[in-house]
Amino acid sequence: MLLRSIISRLIAVAITLFGVAVVVFTLIRVAPGNPIAMMLPPGATAADIARLEALYGFDKSLPEQFVIWLKAVAQGDFGTSIIMRQPVAELVLERLPATLELALMALLLAVALGGLGAVVGARFRGRSPELGVDLGVGVGLSVPDFLWGLLLILLFGVLWPVLQISGRVDPRLAVDLSTNFYIIEGLLRGQWRLVQDVLAHMLMPALALSLPLAAMIAQVLKQSLKAELHLDYTQLARVRGLSETRVIVSEALRNAALPTLTLIGVQFTFLIGGTVIVERLFAYEGLGNMAIEAVINRDLPLIQGIVLLFALLFIVINLAVDLTYGLLNPRLRHG
Amino acid sequence: MSAPVLEISNLSVRLPNDLKVLNTVDLRVEPGEVRALVGESGAGKSMLGKAVLGILPAGLRQTGRITVLGQALDQLPASVRRREVARHVSLIPQDPLTALNPVRPIAAQMTDAMVRIHGWPRRKALARAADLLEQVHIRDVARVLKSYPHELSGGMRQRVLIAAAFATEPKLIVADEPTTALDATVQREILRIIRGLQQETGTTVLFVTHDMGVVAQISQRVTVLFGGRVVEHIDTEALFAGAGQGHAYSRALIRATPDWTRSDAPFAPVPPEVIADLMQEQTR
Amino acid sequence: MVDISAPRAVVRAPNLRLWVPLCWLTLVGIAAVFAPWIAPHDPLAQDLMLGRLPPAWIAGSEPGYWLGTDDLGRDVLSRLIYGARIALIVAATAALLAGLVGSGLGLLAGFFGGWWDKCISRLVEIWMAFPPVLFAVLLVAVLGTGLGSVIAAIALIDWTRFVRVVRAETLVQARMDYIDSAVIGGASKLSVLRHEVLPNVLPAIIALLSLEMGIAVIVEAILSFVNLSLSSDAPTWGGMIAEGRASIYFAWWVLTFPLLTLFLTVLSFSQLGEGLKRHFDPVQT
Repeated sequence: MLLRSIISRLIAVAITLFGVAVVVFTLIRVAPGNPIAMMLPPGATAADIARLEALYGFDKSLPEQFVIWLKAVAQGDFGTSIIMRQPVAELVLERLPATLELALMALLLAVALGGLGAVVGARFRGRSPELGVDLGVGVGLSVPDFLWGLLLILLFGVLWPVLQISGRVDPRLAVDLSTNFYIIEGLLRGQWRLVQDVLAHMLMPALALSLPLAAMIAQVLKQSLKAELHLDYTQLARVRGLSETRVIVSEALRNAALPTLTLIGVQFTFLIGGTVIVERLFAYEGLGNMAIEAVINRDLPLIQGIVLLFALLFIVINLAVDLTYGLLNPRLRHG
Repeated sequence: MSAPVLEISNLSVRLPNDLKVLNTVDLRVEPGEVRALVGESGAGKSMLGKAVLGILPAGLRQTGRITVLGQALDQLPASVRRREVARHVSLIPQDPLTALNPVRPIAAQMTDAMVRIHGWPRRKALARAADLLEQVHIRDVARVLKSYPHELSGGMRQRVLIAAAFATEPKLIVADEPTTALDATVQREILRIIRGLQQETGTTVLFVTHDMGVVAQISQRVTVLFGGRVVEHIDTEALFAGAGQGHAYSRALIRATPDWTRSDAPFAPVPPEVIADLMQEQTR
Repeated sequence: MVDISAPRAVVRAPNLRLWVPLCWLTLVGIAAVFAPWIAPHDPLAQDLMLGRLPPAWIAGSEPGYWLGTDDLGRDVLSRLIYGARIALIVAATAALLAGLVGSGLGLLAGFFGGWWDKCISRLVEIWMAFPPVLFAVLLVAVLGTGLGSVIAAIALIDWTRFVRVVRAETLVQARMDYIDSAVIGGASKLSVLRHEVLPNVLPAIIALLSLEMGIAVIVEAILSFVNLSLSSDAPTWGGMIAEGRASIYFAWWVLTFPLLTLFLTVLSFSQLGEGLKRHFDPVQT
């Protein structure tokens, strides 16, 4: 039964992936403007253009082009960036760690802030701290990461300039690492100054990304915590001498967490989507920033690669959430 | 006579709109006694149990005095009160389906309180938990200790909860309608188990119920509540002797309890004039 | 624990939730419609002699430039007022388009089920695999810049939101007894959809339209911010924000006022949407 549901999920994923590939391919190929002509210096002959078109496979019919392209993609060949003249896969993988670290940091912040808000709200339910949390949730849900980023730039970049508002790392700092996971590898190698600097650069974009999700977590988790606090087992925990805060944290929280975990899984993809504009805002050298550069430069193979990678990330995360949800819930695990 | 385990004097509990859920209640429960607290729904019997345990819903105001083992609970700071209640008082809850934490195995839920309250080593607590599970007639003790709540039936869970209530060696147990959510055959078994453990340990029990049949089976004395006030305290035997002892309302409650074992049993709701009389009496 | 004291504090909130956003949005609406009469200056007029003038209440300001000027000496207030035009036009048209397409597909999927539902749901799932901002940027890159393509891009990314909500609502409605009685009464499926289901789903669509307008305003601002919306000269809030971000250390007001305007507008649309949702369906809170 479980196996069958996993297989049907995988088939659905495959169909979605194919659909994504079709959409991306179609969009890119119907784009007006001739990217090949843009690559060449002014005064290039028609023969030059034709030669280059043949090189990129632009001279065949659309379905043919699609098949050629799909085959290449399946083998990990995403083509060559028109502007940077490097394989797209290479460029994209080089930037991916920066975006992943940013997204994970934002997720961490969102869980911490949202969890705190939920626990405080549930602890002081019906009193002014809960109203405060509700107000924060209302604003947090309505204002997207783009605006939070700008507000943070205004507040901590200008009015009270304590944090970095652009870049990923101080360019004067020599980075001597073998991967682009600056924080993870820096921690493993004990390069504290580097890690500190990267964190200082990351904090504001990560906070901007995390606030809407934090609000959502606070709202959903608080609601399920309050529902748990009506149940007899929390009553019993109180009678056994646990303080209200401990009843919430050590008894109710794990039960209340299940709906929140699903929410986090789904919303994490939106958070990753948000990195595109937030990275741009903070001149953070990740995938999103590169994507916008690529669009501005009409670097179609590069855009294609980035969009596909994002879509793949989304789909894989959703699948992982579905599968782990079952493992986390003992009622499903044993049932 | 020895000091009472529980003494309540002049206890009132008010809703935010000043309505009294409990009204000047006095109650004295002696060591080793099983006291039934009976009344129809809304009489305030569960509130009384909650007041003793210090778990009244937020927003209710309480006046009067609750003394457990000579200690006036309402005089204590909240954290001390919580510790004292945990040490001396246990609760057998009403709904076994929601009274166990779904994500924690039974063993952890039973031993936590013993370890925290008495500082016993985990191993000793586990041995006691196993021992008590046997006493509540659970056969496969090792398996039950390892299982999660959803793997046990309602009756099994209630037994676990009873064992857990006795595990911390409390002086007083508040049983809040512990059989209401169970079917009739399981009910009788659960009552026997509570009764057996109570007699063996000599623990005092405050048994909240709306069922006069249960009252007759388990208690020595009864406190009847109506509209948040005490109607009377009376010996169970005297009330059920059928010799006209006890308040008219209490006797009406007995008649209003259906006896499912006999198809021809007389069943009569509490007559309105009895209630009218009682209300007049209470407003005097 | 039962919280007897809890509900009292929340009871009065929904009304404020409707009226405060409505007031702000009316203000923005008036600014948009009457921009040429209200704006003190030409939003495009540059005067390098008057560059980076601070707002009126700060020393060094010029009379008549209430919120100061930007790097090129253009009046910030006038650009904000004209920016409201673009923002509202984009928001209203894009939301309506997305609402029409999405609600239509949602109704079909929810009401007819079967293959309709399978295909539409699959399409939504594929669409949801794209990060919205990246998708919007990509679409504008493909469609070319300009008001029309911005609107089309926003509608093209956000119709899925309507599908999901309307489909779910329709499923609920389709199970109601009155649908059965209408069908038994001899009504055709299409007329049941129009006369029985649609009116019941409409409140959800209206609430969603308000939410969607807030999102559209933001996406337009983002596209302008990355210089993909209208010509960089046009007074858009996003464009102003981009300029303000660049000159943030020299003239904070160039970023602050458009940011504040955008913030309040987005907050108002979404609070209005939430307020409407509760207004139509008080149980669902």
